[in-house]
Amino acid sequence: MSSVVISGDTSGAITLAAPTVAGTNTITLPATTGTMALTTGQIGMKNRIINGNMVIDQRNAGAAVTTSSSYVTDRFAQAFANASCSFQQVSDAPTGFINSLKLTVTAGSAPSVGTNNVILQKIEGLNVTDFGLGTANALTFTLSFWVKGSVTGTYAVSFTNSAFNRSYVATYTINSANTWEQKSVTIAGDTSGTWLTTNGIGLQAIWDFGSGTNLNTTAGSWQAGNYYRTSACTTIASTTNATLQITGVQLEVGSAATTFDFRSYGTELALCQRYYYAPAISTGIFGGLYNNTSNGMVVVPHKVTMRAAPTITYTIGTGSLNGTYLTADQSIVYIATNTPYLSAFTASIEL
Amino acid sequence: MYKLFNSIDANATKIVIRTTDGACIPFDSANTDYQAYLAWVAQGNTPLPAEETK
Repeated sequence: MSSVVISGDTSGAITLAAPTVAGTNTITLPATTGTMALTTGQIGMKNRIINGNMVIDQRNAGAAVTTSSSYVTDRFAQAFANASCSFQQVSDAPTGFINSLKLTVTAGSAPSVGTNNVILQKIEGLNVTDFGLGTANALTFTLSFWVKGSVTGTYAVSFTNSAFNRSYVATYTINSANTWEQKSVTIAGDTSGTWLTTNGIGLQAIWDFGSGTNLNTTAGSWQAGNYYRTSACTTIASTTNATLQITGVQLEVGSAATTFDFRSYGTELALCQRYYYAPAISTGIFGGLYNNTSNGMVVVPHKVTMRAAPTITYTIGTGSLNGTYLTADQSIVYIATNTPYLSAFTASIEL
Repeated sequence: MYKLFNSIDANATKIVIRTTDGACIPFDSANTDYQAYLAWVAQGNTPLPAEETK
């Protein structure tokens, strides 16, 4: 029998069909009577990671980043010390993806105590309110991603709260060098600690590539304190020319990784612009006058409401800065000139 | 290093200038750059004074 058809009393029908591949698949129905619903988190914004497929790179447009504690692809930050590293959005990706974030250790050096050698994404608390972290109702969640590394071995990804005083380290293995492999780790949500459900940091996902030994702990359980790895983890920060790439990053509610939640490019860009906005400027953003003929202002409406009032950078056409009016929705730059315009502008309110 | 800034408009956002890149940092507790500035001050550092209001 390849399918079962359940016909409605008056019209319509539901067909349950077996897959056309070998093996047995089981669908477990809810143990209660009522309308069957999908598990929380499987619809809507299933993936709480923003830009998990690394397609948005507003800051660098694919250029290499060699400064520590800065952003590479949108929403993905990095930090390193002792070693010299280069991070870059590249077009090498597994089937179904077009970009990945690539780390290259350009000059390896053993990490000293206290060194953070990590790639991370800080997730806004408002985007994980349903996780129930820090409560008895904390949900189980799963992180999945594709990884490609030049050095095989055990690696770690960890999760921390905003105060860095609750941590969970999970390990994964790169089995084959320079080969895309998909990994997933499932975590029972933390029922202790303080976890923000505000516009602050709700949850941090951190990929270690060789941090200091003070960040070692035992994998597989929530710990009080800040930890990124275990003593068994590979330290590629000390290996010149070692590489590590990730893409297809997904964090979702549930105990199993599901298919990557592809969102439209425009949707993904808008999600990124809540934290960083760099409008393309060709001839300038022009403004008008206020108060009198020598005081101008340029109003830059943000494409989406930002997380909070942003830090801005700008290049003034003529004149000098008279002041700013900065909110989550717009940035206004006051300039001492009667011909106000900006030739460059960025707004940043990262976590 | 940071530099204080006085706007000509009393209703404007209070900001501090990060001298390394000229960024305007609003006095907003949710802004991590402002948090970094406060931490810098808490370490005993003092920002450069603001220029006189035009």
